[in-house]
Amino acid sequence: MTVDFEIGPEATRLRAELRELVKTQVPQDFLGAFTDDPADLEAAQRFCRLLAERGLLCMSWPEEFGGAGASIWEQTVVREEMWAHHEPRGAQYMGVNWVGPIIMRHGTPDQQRRHLPPIARGEVIWCQGFSEPEAGSDLASLRTTARPDGDGWLVSGQKIWTSYATMAQWCFLLARTSKEDKRQQGLTIFLVPMDDPAIQVRPIRAMLGPHHLNEVFFDDLRVTEADVLGEVGGGWSIVQDVMSFERVGIARYARCERLLGLAPSVLSDRWDELPAELRGRWTRMLVHCRRARLLAYKVVSLQASGQVKPGDAAAYRIAVTKLDQDSAEVLMEIAAAVPRDDDASRYFRAEVEDHWRYAQASTVSSGSIEMQRILLSRAMLAVEKARS
Amino acid sequence: MILDLGDDAKEYGRQALRAFESAGGDQLVQQAEAKPDTRESLVAPVLDGLGAWELAPRTDPDSLAAAAALCRSAGYWALPYPVAERLSRPSDLDVDGLVVVDDAAPEAAIDGMQKRWAAVTLDGDRSNVVGRTTAGPAFSTALQLSAIDHSGAGDIALGLVLPCWTLLGMLDRAIDLTVSHVLLRKQFGQPLSSFQGVQFQLTDAEVERSGVDILAKYALWSTGSGDALDDALSLRLAAIEAAEVVFRVCHQLHGAVGFCDETTLSWLSRYSQPLRRLPLGLSATRDQLTRRLGRRALPGLYSGGGR
Repeated sequence: MTVDFEIGPEATRLRAELRELVKTQVPQDFLGAFTDDPADLEAAQRFCRLLAERGLLCMSWPEEFGGAGASIWEQTVVREEMWAHHEPRGAQYMGVNWVGPIIMRHGTPDQQRRHLPPIARGEVIWCQGFSEPEAGSDLASLRTTARPDGDGWLVSGQKIWTSYATMAQWCFLLARTSKEDKRQQGLTIFLVPMDDPAIQVRPIRAMLGPHHLNEVFFDDLRVTEADVLGEVGGGWSIVQDVMSFERVGIARYARCERLLGLAPSVLSDRWDELPAELRGRWTRMLVHCRRARLLAYKVVSLQASGQVKPGDAAAYRIAVTKLDQDSAEVLMEIAAAVPRDDDASRYFRAEVEDHWRYAQASTVSSGSIEMQRILLSRAMLAVEKARS
Repeated sequence: MILDLGDDAKEYGRQALRAFESAGGDQLVQQAEAKPDTRESLVAPVLDGLGAWELAPRTDPDSLAAAAALCRSAGYWALPYPVAERLSRPSDLDVDGLVVVDDAAPEAAIDGMQKRWAAVTLDGDRSNVVGRTTAGPAFSTALQLSAIDHSGAGDIALGLVLPCWTLLGMLDRAIDLTVSHVLLRKQFGQPLSSFQGVQFQLTDAEVERSGVDILAKYALWSTGSGDALDDALSLRLAAIEAAEVVFRVCHQLHGAVGFCDETTLSWLSRYSQPLRRLPLGLSATRDQLTRRLGRRALPGLYSGGGR
């Protein structure tokens, strides 16, 4: 048996189907769901319902939870095609990618009945209440507290950088329920409705998009045993589980590769007039896209066989986040030469500018590049220590 | 998808590592540098013992995987023998090996080798190597060529890919040596490995090495396909770039001892040069691929996606 990089006929067919759906069902000038134009959010919600009706939204889920038990390569294709086209699922991708699967793994039958069907129908948006002003990479130092009160708890504290909080109906909230010897102990996950008056959301306008980042304040939010996911005090292991679902995460390489691939046709004859050095950088970025994609496939494959190690995922994450930023710089320079006299050109320039703004956060969000470097270097040094 | 070499190929690579070590390991390249014309007698018996020349990488997929694993192991020990180049020999020419050359300045690291060599340019022009002129460092030598034909287009990809596997083996070794060094070497009362500045440099090197690892497998799979040359040049571009990062990091973290002849890194570093510069260096390789691509993106599974 030797190497074989064919992704398979099912995944190839699915890619074609998704591209056709995007082409016919997503507005031509779509740049994501979180713009100032409410029509974009509506478009994303409509697209999610369409995917759900066709059995494509949760196809990665097991059949017992309404999924199609899709192969890892079909799941990969969905991630790639959605991100490549500005994630027309909007914020729902979080529910599909990790909230649902985590509830399948740790939720009670009641929680599964309550939460999984709306995610599968594409009707609900979740946000993640992890980061705090004093707890970013060092998440275990968080200060949001759930203090016992009667038959439940009262939650107080502040979360920050919470994506999609203004539009979310539910929050996947991490809070401290007790003080233990280790900071990772005594943390608990609560599933809480965002329409509770004890929760206040304040949007943070940012270069990533006007409706993306938020602060969330909890002022004596009442929660009960029924809202606890998993064990009281066992939240840290669920956080680790969430991270494992996010190991591959967003298929950033797919958008980079699509935009780089489009550039020559948008520029047409002007392409040949670009400085040779810039076209050389474009070639280099294409190679780096391929490299990141193949590293992602390696992680996906190892994950499926239960052999993935933190170092593998970290190496990929470092490669892909740097690619995101490097390709954004090259694309911005190319886009400056794009004529402005037709809709396709204007849209390309807008896509590139959006990509550049969003790419600035790629080495910060979902586990900073410094954390990935720590994980990777630990893995490298541990192997040699074990050898000696 | 199968993203790794098969067990047989990997086991073959491990056998080769052990055989090269038993034959002298790091001493081999030092002995060969002193007397380049002993390269054949120093190394050929080990390769014969491994059955290297029974491999048929151009026609048999299992042989191709084994050849890649063998080249990687050869690189790990900076084996002073053109294993990849011999394994790249065309099936329709009566020669012992093939080197891909820059037509403007044909050169290869075959000084001291008495075999019959063919050369192919990136345009597919094939020649016999009929003489060598100025010898340079790391067994490199300028070549005199006698034209054969223009039918070598199908020979080029494997001739580019297998040397990248050799270079990959060198990157493996350089990083292994450096990780061992930073765990052992103490400064300010603690191992270098405890400093985050050191750890982060190691990760720069490892990201590059792991990228070459997966691209090398992809290009190996593509060898013989219509996209083989684009894929081989892509691999080569990434491999040269990676070598620059890896060797710079490894030298930096070794400190002054890394330049000493008693340190293996010093030998690896200088003997990586022909693999990184020939037939074309980083900029010229990128230019070559850019010219070939024109206005199209890289081929493969991932093309398309516009609306």
